[in-house]
Amino acid sequence: MSIALIVFLPLLGALLAPLAIRYGRNACAATAGAASLAAFALLMSHLPGVYAGEVVRQEAAWIPQLGLSFAFFVDGLGFFFATLILGIGLLIIVYARYYLARQDPMGRFYAYLLLFQSAMLGIALSDNALIFLVFWEMTSLSSFLLIGYWRHLPEGRQGARMALAVTGGGGLALIAGMLLLGEAAGTYAISEIIQRGEIIQASPLYVPALLLILVGAFTKSAQFPFHFWLPHAMAAPTPVSAYLHSATMVKAGVFLLARFWPALAGTDIWFLIVTPVGLVTMVIGAFIAIFKHDLKALLAYSTVSNLGMMTMLLGFGTPLGVVIAMFQVLNHATFKAALFMSAGIVDHEAGTRDIRKLGGLIRLMPIASVLALIAAASMAGLPLLNGFLSKEMMLEAAVHTEIAGIPYLVPTLATLGALFSVAYSLRLAWFGYLGPTRESYPHHPHDPPAGMWGPVALLVGLVVAIGLVPPIAGPVLARTSMAVLQTDTLPYYSLAIWHGVTPALFMSITAIVVGATMVALYRSLSTAHAALPHPEAKAMFDRTIAAIVALARGVTGRTQTGSLQLYAGIIVAAIVAVGLVAFLQGGHAPGAREMLPVNTPAIVAWAVLIAVSGVVVFAHVSRLITLVLTSVVGLIVSVAFLQFSAPDLALTQISVEVVTTILLLLALNLLPRRSEPERSAAARWGSGAIAVVAGLGVAYLAYAVMTRDVSSISEYHVALSKPGGGGTNIVNVILVDFRGFDTFGEIIVLGIAALAIFAMLDSALRGASARRLAEMLPSRRSGDAHPMPLVVATRVILPLAITVGVFIFLRGHNQPGGGFIAGLVVAIALIMQYIASGYDWAAARARYNPHAMIGAGVLIAGATGLGSFFFGAPFLTSSYDYFHIPLVGEVELATAIAFDLGVFLTVVGVVLLALFQISRVEHKADRTPVPAGPYEPPYDRQAAPRVVEPARDKEA
Amino acid sequence: MLPESAVPLPVFPVPALGPALPEIVLAAGALVLVLVGAIRGERSTALVSAGAIGLMLVALALVFLAPAETQTTFFGAFVSDAFARFFKVLVLIGSIVALMMSHDHFRRLGIDRFEYPILIVLATIGMMVMVSAGDLIALYMGLELQSLAAYVIASIHRDDARSTEAGLKYFVLGALSSGLLLYGASLVYGFTGTVSFEGIQLALGTGGASTGAIFGLVFVAAGVAFKISAVPFHMWTPDVYEGAPTPVTAFFASAPKMAAMALAVRLFMDAFPTIVDEWRQIVIFISLASVILGSFAAIGQTNLKRLMAYSSIGNVGFALVGLAAGTEAGVQGVLIYMAIYLVLTLGGFACILGMRRGGVVLEDISDLAGVYKNHPGLAFCLAAVVLSLAGIPPLAGFFAKLYVFLAAVEAGLAILAVIAVVASVPGAYYYLRIVKVMYFDEPVAPYDPMPAPLGGVMVVSSVFNLIFWLVPAPLFAAALIAAQSLS
Repeated sequence: MSIALIVFLPLLGALLAPLAIRYGRNACAATAGAASLAAFALLMSHLPGVYAGEVVRQEAAWIPQLGLSFAFFVDGLGFFFATLILGIGLLIIVYARYYLARQDPMGRFYAYLLLFQSAMLGIALSDNALIFLVFWEMTSLSSFLLIGYWRHLPEGRQGARMALAVTGGGGLALIAGMLLLGEAAGTYAISEIIQRGEIIQASPLYVPALLLILVGAFTKSAQFPFHFWLPHAMAAPTPVSAYLHSATMVKAGVFLLARFWPALAGTDIWFLIVTPVGLVTMVIGAFIAIFKHDLKALLAYSTVSNLGMMTMLLGFGTPLGVVIAMFQVLNHATFKAALFMSAGIVDHEAGTRDIRKLGGLIRLMPIASVLALIAAASMAGLPLLNGFLSKEMMLEAAVHTEIAGIPYLVPTLATLGALFSVAYSLRLAWFGYLGPTRESYPHHPHDPPAGMWGPVALLVGLVVAIGLVPPIAGPVLARTSMAVLQTDTLPYYSLAIWHGVTPALFMSITAIVVGATMVALYRSLSTAHAALPHPEAKAMFDRTIAAIVALARGVTGRTQTGSLQLYAGIIVAAIVAVGLVAFLQGGHAPGAREMLPVNTPAIVAWAVLIAVSGVVVFAHVSRLITLVLTSVVGLIVSVAFLQFSAPDLALTQISVEVVTTILLLLALNLLPRRSEPERSAAARWGSGAIAVVAGLGVAYLAYAVMTRDVSSISEYHVALSKPGGGGTNIVNVILVDFRGFDTFGEIIVLGIAALAIFAMLDSALRGASARRLAEMLPSRRSGDAHPMPLVVATRVILPLAITVGVFIFLRGHNQPGGGFIAGLVVAIALIMQYIASGYDWAAARARYNPHAMIGAGVLIAGATGLGSFFFGAPFLTSSYDYFHIPLVGEVELATAIAFDLGVFLTVVGVVLLALFQISRVEHKADRTPVPAGPYEPPYDRQAAPRVVEPARDKEA
Repeated sequence: MLPESAVPLPVFPVPALGPALPEIVLAAGALVLVLVGAIRGERSTALVSAGAIGLMLVALALVFLAPAETQTTFFGAFVSDAFARFFKVLVLIGSIVALMMSHDHFRRLGIDRFEYPILIVLATIGMMVMVSAGDLIALYMGLELQSLAAYVIASIHRDDARSTEAGLKYFVLGALSSGLLLYGASLVYGFTGTVSFEGIQLALGTGGASTGAIFGLVFVAAGVAFKISAVPFHMWTPDVYEGAPTPVTAFFASAPKMAAMALAVRLFMDAFPTIVDEWRQIVIFISLASVILGSFAAIGQTNLKRLMAYSSIGNVGFALVGLAAGTEAGVQGVLIYMAIYLVLTLGGFACILGMRRGGVVLEDISDLAGVYKNHPGLAFCLAAVVLSLAGIPPLAGFFAKLYVFLAAVEAGLAILAVIAVVASVPGAYYYLRIVKVMYFDEPVAPYDPMPAPLGGVMVVSSVFNLIFWLVPAPLFAAALIAAQSLS
């Protein structure tokens, strides 16, 4: 795993460097350097193999299910980039040791730097597209940390965030692109992908994959229109700028384009996107650089421009373009890193990077200045330096490229870019280093320690060496280009200073002459430039972000209002919409079931139902009217049950309806009479529309279901009701026999619910809530609280009702009826006593405690169930027999009837308990002193017989 | 004497209780805890809390000890397979950690009632039943047990208007969605003649889906989407997350999300696998809508809890990308996603719960200014969580996303994956703001000292987050076994 070790050694260094800081700054830097050096040595051990044309691949399983393996490979391209990363990295580590001030936390710096180095090596060497992505984002993260290294600088914080937003966002796009690419290629191994160019380019996923990958590459390599983050990243310490933002990280995008060049390049869409983007970036970057005053800003835009050039060359899609691009990568890394470090030296020594406050440095810091001037000359593309060679080759290639049928476009723009770069390079040289010495500088400049200029000198040495003896770069260039192109044959090119009189030579001369003229005329040009509009990328970025934030806030503010009605409306609207889609997609043949004949009562009933529902919508402000109308709905539903031959259901429905209406009426007394609409008319109409559509949908569904024959378990119950449960009332048999266990559970729940009502309303009798209740009581009342006719009627009815209840109870097993209905009937009769004769009167005469009734009911039901154990049958097995009672006739007595008795008692108890408590609340609230009003109690309630009332009620 | 009946009465044997042992232990234990609380009153809160945690740890151990093969009981209504056990572990971890983090918080607010831990246990039982549901009835029972407990928990801070409002909203909308789900279930039952997932699968597999069954599917999906708070049924989430006390929010964001997602997966993969094309459209839609809204609406939020709410919406959307694939790999992706999401969420909420100055609970992003200086641990944990949620490698959140995307791409849903990735960009930018505020802004005063459980959760979450990429195999293997047990 020696290749993996190359990647992870710096990571180890990143962990160790912060620990080493306690032994001093030198130890810290030495640790970092040692880690890099070890990695470099390991890398070099692959040198013979790579240059013999071998591709070394090493793999360790990681998450095989994911297609993830720690696969690394080293070929010419990876080796080339890894060498750049580690070589320049070592120089930067040395340089930074002297650059960082004493108060800067050095351990953290080296940790971040080595973290970055590790990630970058991962990009260069990984052989798995997914691992590649991991390292890709890690470079963004470490770049974020390094840009924001000086936390006290606000521009550092903003720059860091912007850089991460752009490159991280591009990284996310790249993830998507890689997934598509892997899918198109059928593998995630990079070494495989790049051999399947034809398959990939024939895949329908090619275009989306290409677009997404290009977004990733362009954001990372600061290509137009994503170029703006790079200059703002210059807030980082200069070693970081030199390393990340010129020599390595920003080249990751170029590396990406080169690595996947065989898989992606060569198509029209590749050419038509990549070349113009690179070309435009090259020209714009160079133009902006001319007028920047900050040395680092100037260099940053120059970097943007150079990256544009590499992108453009790769965009050509020709092997020659690749060769030149790789050459430019090498040259640019050398001269630009040297220049950045020189800028750092100036900043360090002169205390400013503002080109307007500098000048004449050559006399004050000769060594550093000479080195910087050579590097600048190379950047300008002056002969005998490496920058000249690659620029010359680029211009030559441009001459042979035509885009959109216009032959002169590319060469002209390329010349323009070269011309601008001459201008900014000369401006840097002249105004920064040459020119007259100033009276004063923020600090007095002098040459820095050798540790700072040494690395620069090494790089400049390379610049000159390649410039003077171009063929020494030959093997590197050839091996790298072969790896990019995945071929052993390279196009013809010659690394020489003199190519004869070629168009490129003329273009170069033009560039140098015009560029020099521009610098000579800089003052007037600068005035003219100041008059031009300056689209400020950062401001645009900020404005875009602000607009998105405003939009997001607007949308969430409008949808997330906190209004429950709106939320519910959206939910229902969504389900209606989805339902509509389902409806439109599915078949909707009419049902096969035969329709029942329609009759007049049914029509009338449905008409009333619809009318009542409609009125409720408009009359709902009055709670009383709403309650009355909804009870009408309930009654009609029970009539509907009758219509569909379910008399037992109808009976149940009617009694439940009556009980709930009465209880609600009692509760209504405690509430305000009216509920005012809280929303605007428009909102209500909107909700109304949703409701109508949803209602129609549900009605249609009901219709569709009912017109179809569906197999249900009804037949089973119909068939087994009599033989199995001994009764012909199927509902009752189900309740007490077939699903007796359920019923048993339900009556327990019912009892608990009643107890809960009891307990909760109890708290309403105390403290503040009781006082609020008192104030809410309606002040206007009928003069006669207990009208005589009602009192008489209810007292006469009571015994009759109880008889009816018993009758219904007894016949329940075979005819419509049963314990549940009987319980409700009896409970209604008892409630009527409370309503008609008053709470005190009735409570004083109540013999049975509702709590006890509930308890007894549950116990009886349970005991019945347990009884079956004595006969060796499971819980709640019922049995039945027939008895002859004189006068009544044949009576069936099933054990189920005992169970039903339990149900009966529970229901009565529950209803009474709920009623009892509601009445008590009203009763209590009534007695609390109410502000003087027309109402006088008919008699002194305090003197009325006291009923069971816990002592704590007095606290109120 | 029993008379001879014409047809022999069906005599039901007692079902095997073993597979449901963890649930039964929890249920019995919860009753004991209620009694302890009722007898000893409010003083017993600490005891009941400890008891509840202990109880859930026992349940966790029982889940681990359960036999590896798939067991079915209660006449097919309850399934204990690797899938269920995977999610039960997640649910229990979520509940235990949420409970551990809440005690101190509630004590300071003066609302440390003994009912809270019991309600958490009850909700947990509900969730475990949801996870193990083998038919629509069990599904609904579990769902309601969980939901009803959750409604109460949301408004546990009774004297706080926001908390009660949160509870009310949650209840009303929850009831609406339960109604939708029940309605859908009844349609499915009506058109397939069975409630068991297996039966539904068979019925739909032979005859194809009738329009009625598809309607049922739509309504059931809507109910489930509400529970996982997927767009457009997400509206309650930000309000409830913000309104409820923070430990409650931490609970809501963790365990119930796991259970609801498990429910969604089981429902779609177990009951409706034969009509993938029909439900895939729905899942794709809600998944994309959730991802986009979750990412987009996170922008501009100032309240951390609201931000977490939108993040949860977005993350659910991502997990649904895996479900949309409708394959075993997709399910595995969902499982991995939810497990990682659980750890991240709990870590994130531990950080939020640690934000308290002078006894005042802080919830705004601006309150995080310069936390790095005074509380480097908290800042680091939250930064890792936030970056992980944004899906930045090599943090755990990246692998969660990666796997579901891979599954989607393999299932031919490349465009879905791409849109989901691209839609997450704006949200990612906004998460960075938190990191920036914590690391680069000027610090104010330090927070109050943190209770030990919070620190512990932060450490565990951060370690998981950072180390996951080195040792992902155990989770992947567990998820694979779980996914295989489903098909």
